[in-house]
Amino acid sequence: MAYETVKVDTPLVLRILPVASVVAFFGIWQGVVDFGIVPNTMLASPTQVAVLFWEKLFVADPDGAVLSVHAWVSIQEAFTGFFLSLLVGIPLGLMMGWFNVAEGLARPIFELIRPIPPVAWIPLTIFWFGIGIPGKVFIIWLSGIVPCVINSYVGVRMTSPTLIQMARTYGATDWEIFKKICIPSALPMVFGAMTISQAYCWTTLVGAEYLAADQGLGYLITMGRRLASPPMVVLGMICVGLTGVAIGIVIERLEKKLLAGIRR
Amino acid sequence: METSQEYKIDCQHISKTFVQKGTQRVHVLEDISVNVKNNEFLVILGPGQSGKSTLLRIIAGLETPSEGNVYLDGKEVSGPGADRGLVFQSYMLFPWKTVLGNVELGPKLRGISKNERREVAQHYIDLVGLKGFENHYPHQLSGGMKQRVGIARAYSNNPELMLLDEPFGQLDAQTRYFMEKETARIWETEKRTVLFVTNNIEEAIFLGDRILSLQGKLPGRMHAMYEVHLPRPREHTEMKFLELRQKITDASELTL
Amino acid sequence: MTTPATTTATSSIANEIQKQVSEKRPFSLSRFLKDRRFLYCVSLTAFFGIWKYIDYTQVLGNGIAAPDAVVAQIWKLANKTIAGKSLWGHIWASTYRIIIGFSIAAVIAVPLGVIMALNRYVNAIVKPVFDLIKPMPPFAWISCAILWFGIDEPSKIFIIVVGTFVPCLLNAYMGIRLIEPQLYDVIRMLGGNRKDEILQVGFPAAFPAIFAGLQISLSCAWTCVLSAELVSARSGLGFIIIQGMQLSRPAMVLAGMVVLAFVAWATTLLITGLEKKLCPWKREAVQM
Repeated sequence: MAYETVKVDTPLVLRILPVASVVAFFGIWQGVVDFGIVPNTMLASPTQVAVLFWEKLFVADPDGAVLSVHAWVSIQEAFTGFFLSLLVGIPLGLMMGWFNVAEGLARPIFELIRPIPPVAWIPLTIFWFGIGIPGKVFIIWLSGIVPCVINSYVGVRMTSPTLIQMARTYGATDWEIFKKICIPSALPMVFGAMTISQAYCWTTLVGAEYLAADQGLGYLITMGRRLASPPMVVLGMICVGLTGVAIGIVIERLEKKLLAGIRR
Repeated sequence: METSQEYKIDCQHISKTFVQKGTQRVHVLEDISVNVKNNEFLVILGPGQSGKSTLLRIIAGLETPSEGNVYLDGKEVSGPGADRGLVFQSYMLFPWKTVLGNVELGPKLRGISKNERREVAQHYIDLVGLKGFENHYPHQLSGGMKQRVGIARAYSNNPELMLLDEPFGQLDAQTRYFMEKETARIWETEKRTVLFVTNNIEEAIFLGDRILSLQGKLPGRMHAMYEVHLPRPREHTEMKFLELRQKITDASELTL
Repeated sequence: MTTPATTTATSSIANEIQKQVSEKRPFSLSRFLKDRRFLYCVSLTAFFGIWKYIDYTQVLGNGIAAPDAVVAQIWKLANKTIAGKSLWGHIWASTYRIIIGFSIAAVIAVPLGVIMALNRYVNAIVKPVFDLIKPMPPFAWISCAILWFGIDEPSKIFIIVVGTFVPCLLNAYMGIRLIEPQLYDVIRMLGGNRKDEILQVGFPAAFPAIFAGLQISLSCAWTCVLSAELVSARSGLGFIIIQGMQLSRPAMVLAGMVVLAFVAWATTLLITGLEKKLCPWKREAVQM
């Protein structure tokens, strides 16, 4: 047989190094704090963070909510904004890619708004919505919609011209071509937008909660600073990071599943 | 092992096994022994997936054989070197260099002075018929022109051995035919030992002094060696050409 | 083979046909309505019209200012000083922070990414730690930055460094990793050594990707500098915006946003132009 399956081991050093590096990272971190090289008012050690993590699972003080509530509020806001941006951004981008009129009407406004970082909208949304959930959802929506529109637009634009010409010779109308050819061929790009958009949403969320919130993981970080409690700051950062990674993995799985359906 | 000095290239019992994607072992070549005389044009003929490109890469020194040895002028090949020039199927020009920049790269890497390497590069650009395109970037050229740059780049290092890996596989039929004639012309002008890999029987007969045909499935094994005794320049429509073509076609159909 | 003479000849014929066709087109209302320039005008007019109308009807209360009020505010900002600085001073304050932070990040991250891609041992050591830090949004670092550096310049620059570091490094890494391996073979066949492979292939081939990373970083940098300035600052465009918020003057907030959009857009344009100049071989892709 020409083909046979074998198992090839990566060298031992290359398997040990990553583990060693992470262990060293935490070791140095712990050491730096324990031996007072960095004062405890500036940085918390991993063990302090772990202890606080355990406490925050049950104790609402001093920031007003237990950890799971903070996380749940953040996830809720992020997902609402994320889904709304998919809901508006993808159809808009697809239409802009195919219909001249849609592009002509939407493009200038989109180009006007695009260079403004979503965070810059925070003061305005506070004027408009106060510091409740709608304002944050609005900002997250703004940050998530940009990659959706761009990717959907590019996806449609990259449709093979041969396919379009083929459809035209069979007498398909513009709308049919859009529906039957442009959208399916743009789908991989559209799903790609989900990953990017989700990452943007999560990043912006922390910013939004920073400036205007009374709950959420971003708020936890702010409170940590106000209370001069480094463990709380670090805990908040780690929770933000971990939750972000978890959401990212879920979205990626979803994307793979959806894409597998198309390729078949 | 002993090898005779009279051959430019001497491959002895070459076998090659790859590990693909980390887990899949592929047996590509099985016991290939072939030798090439000085200034001979040898064509390696085989359908897709017969390991012919791998054989060429082993001779180039880019891959090491799992078993067997390759000798160049009686010395064992242990790695790639400037004494061999390789032309790639997908051109592999540097998109950030102009035609001149691509062609003069070999001499430049060997530390030859600017004026001298310009002269060498210009000579080979003229030889392959690209005069006037020195300052074009590869993306401004057609496929045939790109491969001319590829050939000029390999020649500019003045290698003793030219290795061409399906160089015209991506060209349209007419350009391909034209490039074959050009290759024959260039080879007549500047004689080199040439190894030419192709899947096209006519191309093989048109160019080769000898043709080594490989079996049509992995692992690649030697199938037959044909000698082409036709006067150059050759014509695709000559009777003898067609007879040989028929012979090779019949023989290779049996292996598929 | 096509000779250059024939290509120019055919393309010029094609141009002529094109010209004739476009000249012969009669004026028609539907074509005029679908003309892109016309649509752009409609779109912008509608946008500013609705904006003005919202302000006029007071739907959002005092939460918005009319476009003309914003323009007037920008004019006013340009001619007087806030917190000791004119508008130009504030623009420069933000830009200066970006230049410093962005340069620090690029100088460290790009070489690090390149080395990680070239050496798997370095990669095995750095990548796990990088993966730990990567998912933290730059905003999450603000508290740390304030605890470590106070509320002065260093903490803002730190935020920008952290925020731009990730895209710089990732793109440099991917740029080197995605190089066609046969290009290295070319160098080896021409007699080059490992150093030649990196200098002749590695850097130029990865250059477009590295540059793309710098472009992404730059837009991240604007978000970062703004975030930092919104939290605490005495100068910069973010300061103008937050001042407007604290004084409940939407015109000032919007003025800050418009100026910010313009400056960010101008820097992007600058770097795109720079890219065109630096890599003339890069081919056009579908972009928006």
